[in-house]
Amino acid sequence: MSQTPSPPGNGPRLEKTPSGIEGLDVILRGGFLQGGITIVQGKPGAGKTILGNQLCFNHAAAGGRALYVTLLAESHARMLLHIGNLAFFRSSAIPDQLLYVSAFPVLEADGIRGLLALLRREVSAFNATVLVLDGLVAAEKVAASDMEFKKFIHELQAHATAANCQMFLLTSGGDNPDVVTAEHTMVDCVIELRSRLRGWRADRDLEILKRRGDGFLRGRHAFRISDAGLTVFPRFEALLATPTNAERVEKTRASTGLAQLDDMIGGGLPRASTTLLLGPSGIGKTTVGMHFLSQCTPEDRGLFFGFYEDPAGIRDKAMALGLPLVNHLDQGVVECLWQPTTEASLDEICAQLLIATRARGVRRLFLDGLGGIAKLADDPERVGHILTTLVHELRALHVTSLVTKESDDLLGSLGVPPASSLAAGSVSDIADNILLFQFIRLRSRLHRTVSAFKVRDSRIDEQAHLFEITPHGIVVDASPDRAEAIFVEAAAQPRTPDSPPSTPAQVQRPQGE
Amino acid sequence: MAKILVVDDEFGIGELLREVLSDDDHQVVLAINGRQGLQMVANEQPDLVFLDFMMPVLNGVGMLKAKMEDPNMAQIPVIIMSSLPEASVAERAHGHVGFVRKPFQINTILDVAAVALAGSKKSSG
Repeated sequence: MSQTPSPPGNGPRLEKTPSGIEGLDVILRGGFLQGGITIVQGKPGAGKTILGNQLCFNHAAAGGRALYVTLLAESHARMLLHIGNLAFFRSSAIPDQLLYVSAFPVLEADGIRGLLALLRREVSAFNATVLVLDGLVAAEKVAASDMEFKKFIHELQAHATAANCQMFLLTSGGDNPDVVTAEHTMVDCVIELRSRLRGWRADRDLEILKRRGDGFLRGRHAFRISDAGLTVFPRFEALLATPTNAERVEKTRASTGLAQLDDMIGGGLPRASTTLLLGPSGIGKTTVGMHFLSQCTPEDRGLFFGFYEDPAGIRDKAMALGLPLVNHLDQGVVECLWQPTTEASLDEICAQLLIATRARGVRRLFLDGLGGIAKLADDPERVGHILTTLVHELRALHVTSLVTKESDDLLGSLGVPPASSLAAGSVSDIADNILLFQFIRLRSRLHRTVSAFKVRDSRIDEQAHLFEITPHGIVVDASPDRAEAIFVEAAAQPRTPDSPPSTPAQVQRPQGE
Repeated sequence: MAKILVVDDEFGIGELLREVLSDDDHQVVLAINGRQGLQMVANEQPDLVFLDFMMPVLNGVGMLKAKMEDPNMAQIPVIIMSSLPEASVAERAHGHVGFVRKPFQINTILDVAAVALAGSKKSSG
């Protein structure tokens, strides 16, 4: 087995071979140990066969030789038909670098000893450096006793090491997959693939149950099976438990694109900060984001990442308001990504957002909005952790972010802490700055107001200012006087017992602010 | 009636071909790899061989090559079966008279067997 020299005082380390599945290699901190055995278990339909084939094709693409041995599995012809349209499939790899053989007749005729002999011989004859044995459960059934099966695993392990061949044993896990079996204790790594129903949809995840000799990212990790094969999304908050760069506080400011709003918050938003735009639906949060992204330049690139409006809709809206964002979108200075909240996983979305941010060198991000992220969460308790992780990473990437969140009532009153619907993570975890948007109803008309609730390291004008959405975009009053007058008048107007308050309730700052 | 040897490592394929070809009044014998297949050719002297391409121990290419090199076996016609495209097989295997792409239809097997057996009779007659 190949070993790398190690610093004095430490033992030699086993070499790793990447699986070629990026997210899985991240979870495994580089890949599988060479010459080791991994059990891949999961119920039928969990994705074991696709994973097994993908490992083989990836290994072949990297110059290795792989052997795919089936027991009681689907026929090779059907299997190749099923995987033939997946991106990793290359027919040219078969049969010189990747060979499919069946060992079931041998297992049936000669038992588990015959199977072991065949595997040894084929690995050696083909110089295979990866072996996938699909249908381990058939071997277990044929074994005369538990002891014989354990000996089979033990001897296979010895051969894997001697031949420097990574072996993957695919199994449905027998009658009770929850039971830890003897073979689990003997192999180097155990991966479980799962599919879970969440309402009407099914989410897939995998977990490394065991890994000898090296660390890995613990917990459940989402994966998707698509035309690309398996794509694995490491658990976001575990992956970025420590931001990739040191966070630094920047002293410069980024204009919101609204001069009067900039004045209210001390000259613009602190760079590399995250700002929560909190307000009711329809008040203009998205339009504020479009003003913000209109300030982008080729050196200060932007990303619109939304869950609600598609790129064409955003472009039309910017065009209608005459905002420079239209040109930025056309020239690629700003990219618009739209992700409906129907099928994707939270980890996938966060990964997609960061990939786009890093790839394009994004400095201004408008995320519209937190409600979409919350909808994607399979576990509400994760939302706060994930948002905290995301905000830290965006800061580390020197991104100035605006993030929208709908307030819980139509007018946007402030009787409840703004982030109360988030199960974990306080407002201070998530946002450096908070801008509040509220409607005030005066007689038959709704008026829009904006106020700065907090802005990091800034002297702010805490008074609400009136703003309007005109044919040329948002116009914010330079003075709070009009808003003040409307508040006073609205407070004095008569109310019916069941009408909502026309003015916001008394502001209660969330704990910790 | 002809004697047909089916050489295939996959569970189900050999048994399926045995049933299909038996129903067509042929005598069928089975082998699960190329090495066993060569022994069966020597012992049984079949009229036709259906030979899988990818197998353990000795694959279809190896068995076909060994058969062609043996004057006692060289004339026995061989049909190769594979999930791979015919062109891919043709690059590696030489001496077969027919090809069947897996997964196959039963009629395809019967048709290709009939053609191969008819050709074999002509050449020997």
